[in-house]
Amino acid sequence: MNIGNLSILAPALLAAFLALPILWWLLRLTPPSPKRVPFPAIRLLFGLIPREETPHRTPWWLILLRVVIAALVIAALSHPVWNAGANFGRPGPLMLVIDNGWAAAPHWREANLAADSLVDQAAREGRDVMLVPTAPALGQTGLPPPDRLAPPQAKAAIANMAPQSWPARRDLVIEMLGRMADNNSLPTDLNITWLSDGVGLPGDSDAGLAARLDKLGDLRIVGPRDLPIILRPARIDAAGLKIKVERPMVGAAQDVTLRILDHDGRTISLGKAGFAASRNSVETNIPLPLELRGRVGAVMLQPGVEGDTGQAGGIVLLDDSAGSKPIGVITDNAAAARQPLLGELYYVERALQPANELRVGTVATLSKQPLSVMILPDGSKISDGERAALAGWVEDGGMLVRFAGDRLALAADDNLLPVRLRQGDRVLGGALSWSKPASLAPFPAASPFVGLDIPKDVTVNRQVLAQPDIDLGGKTWARLSDGTPLVTGTKRGDGYIVLFHVSANTAWSNLALSGLYVDMLNRLLLLAAGVPSTGQDKTTPLPPGQIIDGFGRLIPAPTSLTPLSATDLKEQISGPLHPPGLYGPAEGRRALNLTAHLPAVAPLGLSLEPLAPSTAVDWKPWLLLLAALLLAADIIIGLVMRGLLSRHRAATAASLLIAGLFVIAPTPRALAQESDSAPAAVQPMTDEEIIAAADSTHLAYVRTGIPNVDATSRAGLYGLTTKLLERTSAEMGDPVGVDLDVDTLDFYPILYWPIAGSSGTLSDRAITEINRYLAGGGMILFDTADQNVVGITGGLGPGSMRLQELTGGLDIPPLAPVGADHVLTRSFYLLKDFPGRWVGGTLWVESSQNRLNDGVASVIVGSNDYAAAWATDDYGQPIFPVTPGGEKQREFAYRFGINLVMYALTGKYKEDQVHVPAILERLGQ
Amino acid sequence: MALTGTDIDTNPQIARDRQKAEAAAIAERLPPLLLAAERIAATVEQGVHGRRRTGPGEVFWQYRPYYAGDELKRLDWRASAKTDKLYLRQLEWSASQSVYLWCDHSPSMAYGSRRDLPTKSARAQVLALALSSVLARAGERVGLLGHPEPPSAGRSVTERLAERLFIDARDPSKAPSVPPQADLPAHAHALIISDFLSPIDSWQEVIARFAARNVHGHLLQVLDPAEQSMPFTGRVRFLGMEREGDVLMSRAEGIREQYLERLATHQQSLRDLARHAGWSMTVHVTDGPAATSVLQLYQWLAADRGMRR
Repeated sequence: MNIGNLSILAPALLAAFLALPILWWLLRLTPPSPKRVPFPAIRLLFGLIPREETPHRTPWWLILLRVVIAALVIAALSHPVWNAGANFGRPGPLMLVIDNGWAAAPHWREANLAADSLVDQAAREGRDVMLVPTAPALGQTGLPPPDRLAPPQAKAAIANMAPQSWPARRDLVIEMLGRMADNNSLPTDLNITWLSDGVGLPGDSDAGLAARLDKLGDLRIVGPRDLPIILRPARIDAAGLKIKVERPMVGAAQDVTLRILDHDGRTISLGKAGFAASRNSVETNIPLPLELRGRVGAVMLQPGVEGDTGQAGGIVLLDDSAGSKPIGVITDNAAAARQPLLGELYYVERALQPANELRVGTVATLSKQPLSVMILPDGSKISDGERAALAGWVEDGGMLVRFAGDRLALAADDNLLPVRLRQGDRVLGGALSWSKPASLAPFPAASPFVGLDIPKDVTVNRQVLAQPDIDLGGKTWARLSDGTPLVTGTKRGDGYIVLFHVSANTAWSNLALSGLYVDMLNRLLLLAAGVPSTGQDKTTPLPPGQIIDGFGRLIPAPTSLTPLSATDLKEQISGPLHPPGLYGPAEGRRALNLTAHLPAVAPLGLSLEPLAPSTAVDWKPWLLLLAALLLAADIIIGLVMRGLLSRHRAATAASLLIAGLFVIAPTPRALAQESDSAPAAVQPMTDEEIIAAADSTHLAYVRTGIPNVDATSRAGLYGLTTKLLERTSAEMGDPVGVDLDVDTLDFYPILYWPIAGSSGTLSDRAITEINRYLAGGGMILFDTADQNVVGITGGLGPGSMRLQELTGGLDIPPLAPVGADHVLTRSFYLLKDFPGRWVGGTLWVESSQNRLNDGVASVIVGSNDYAAAWATDDYGQPIFPVTPGGEKQREFAYRFGINLVMYALTGKYKEDQVHVPAILERLGQ
Repeated sequence: MALTGTDIDTNPQIARDRQKAEAAAIAERLPPLLLAAERIAATVEQGVHGRRRTGPGEVFWQYRPYYAGDELKRLDWRASAKTDKLYLRQLEWSASQSVYLWCDHSPSMAYGSRRDLPTKSARAQVLALALSSVLARAGERVGLLGHPEPPSAGRSVTERLAERLFIDARDPSKAPSVPPQADLPAHAHALIISDFLSPIDSWQEVIARFAARNVHGHLLQVLDPAEQSMPFTGRVRFLGMEREGDVLMSRAEGIREQYLERLATHQQSLRDLARHAGWSMTVHVTDGPAATSVLQLYQWLAADRGMRR
């Protein structure tokens, strides 16, 4: 039944309104319950008869209030809905075609609400719902035929849908509908709503889908008016970061803010791009300081500027190597070359670090690494083979910077030089010379150094001289005041060869002491092209490391995705099989961007109804709420009238009631918001909790819910913390028990997880949180604590079996037994084995070739019940006996614990070879 | 400790101190009250009421010639020196009057119709203490009716009475609503403070019993304003406070005039009873100041002396 915009879903109940006059009459007839008043002079009242015969009646306004309450309840039960919209025209079920490609992300919330309200309407009319997403799911190439869902199931399914980070495939929908028609499983007389993302796809799949759907029933196409802005892949060159921004519409000037993120997702810079009114693309250049260029990991549109959430087209990733220019310094004797104040490396390192990544080694080791610049001081000798390797590397795009010296002055017939040199060197201002040390002339206009200030006190005492050639002037990038070249350089192949005609140290010139030296090297770095690609890594398959989700966020990649080779990566169009993201090993990840091969965003060429949130308002809960409030008011009034509530208490109750009204009123909306954002939200901690967790380092254990296991974990970590405080400089706070379903794990360097006897499975929230924790550098020690069983019977212990089923959804890397050379054996104490309460169990760690997080293992699995060995009571006395080794075994258990915590806190630096002699000596005893 | 308003009302120690302080403040404003006592009760205690006979006392009464057998130390040497005869000095026998107080603590007294009014019981105690203080300062003996201890005099008597009254008031459910049967000395004074809402017959019996022993009595009726005016309206169920039962009035305002009439009749009967016994009666309403009623009683007790002399 409809009255204007108001639809009444259960009109039969309106008949109950006829009963209201009867209710009025009944209420009027019943006298109010009397006030109860204690009265001492009651004897004087006995036998008194009131003169007026009319009895006291309930006041009319109270009757009115009660009748209004009854009327509200009746009205609520008749279920009125405002703006419910017209009924579906066809008798069949509702089909929702939902575009969930990347372009749907900005309007996902509105589309979700629209879908929800349509499903609500279907629920009111008792129809089934068919959900047809247009983008295939991750790893799928086709679309499954939709099921007929009951409305509540459909609502849950819609809440679980998310936009994908690849384009919608409407042709696949046509194909799928065709298959259904062939099977005769396609119902007819459908009511179809197509919640489109408003973006047209190339080809005729858009119109084809509309025509196909129109044949099936009533078709409405709904879509947003504004389309997303996209970023094209960025590159870093000498001028900074270059990026192209495209928008689908023209007509007004528009500024967008770009956020430049590093590899860890932190914002390191902001940039602006301004569209001219008539242009729909703009190429912008964001200047970046040299030291930031190597850290750029991604560029994204500032969220919120476009008034929406992020989307996969609004973020582009960069290769790990993009912008970074690792430098190699060739030396065959690093110790000698680093000799303070004398060595050549000493000055080069100080000039280039810490802003640049510097690697020192021989040609053989350096040529295997991706390097952009190599510096060859004079001190090291290179063979012909190495020379050829270097020449090839320069041809591929590397930059070789050489310094002169005694060795070069003697052997000038070197092919790795920009100019031909004369034999011997020239000494200025020596003891047997009339000349004075020479200063620098202004830089030539074509020099890369032009514009640098020349300090007056920079002088040159010795130099090597170039053969006068016809092109010497063009190759001279800096010269002395007498015209002889100081720096010469030439392009060879894709790369450069640069020669400083003085030494890298102060032997020939004091240039190495001046700021000019640093500035010149930096200018050369700007000139360098980047890392030349070598043939080797073009065919290596790169597994996906992180992928972008539909909202433009980087998430860990599922292991089911197939790897891509580097060559394929360049040409690969991102899709459900190869989602956009970062591929490859931890250092040297390659970016696959959605927008690299995305056609320009164009509006959908169909007539669209605007995507507006439904205006339907269900009045039922509000009417019931109002009735409940009036009922509460009626109760208070009744209590006051009977004298059971004094007046000022009544005032308190009334104000509480009004306050309650304000508390209750916003709740339905707040609940709705929470339920919308719940899937992605991480449980927020209060500031106090964060401060408490972060003020010092805490060991943490997973609460299993089994009291004695948790108590043992706590006592064990307490004992270990005490030992750490006594023996090491680690300042630990009290151990913390964490609930995986609630707590944030980010604050704890290591998590002790007793598997023994725990039950239940992990929730999705817990799995996500643990994966995030492991990916973000956390470490978990799983303790199966079943060595006492395994040691006797062999095979898999109960804890190990439990561990397998519990960690099914976790990203546990491949594990290997701890080797004798693992850092865990020497991060604090030198250890041979790792006893706990039991001995003999194998300790498993992440295998070494699969390391992220600076090579520190994120998962360690043991079975020796460590917490029981560490556990102490309040007096510091051990709680559990350890077998079979007694107190000595306990001491080694503590040592293992200390090693473990040190490993978690300090990483693998003990893996360096520095301690090898001492370690060998002690192992030999 | 910070005291809140409710603490003051509920903490018995503080409530008692407050009553004592209030009583003391009222009593301070009045001079010592010497009772009008035409005939002194036959007590042997020393007091200020001269018995016009020789006896223990301080006031000179007469000289008497010395007879053989008198103690030599009782000779008044100054008077004897004026003549040839020897004289003894005799003093007037002075005695004190006793006042017996009685405070009603029955449940009906524990009633205050508004939160800002004291209960009738509390007001009655204040009045009793104020009067006892004034009397004690004049040297009269004050005691509690129905208590085994004899009346006593002195500064500390008010303090002792306060303690005693307080203990009695603690359990209203056991307290009687009329004074108990007690053997008062003849010619003693009695001050009965109550709401006198019990049936008139019970009061007639009590007053007749006291009057038979020539006890001088004063009735002080303490009423709450609600009892005085019956302000209730609407449908009210009145509950008795001493298990009298309850009564439902469909319109309380309709019975107001009849109630006031009945109250007036009841008070008139009380007054008649008092007058026949030669007693007095005063009405005190708890929303009026306590000092006014104390002054009224003071004047009545003081004026009684003149009238009776």
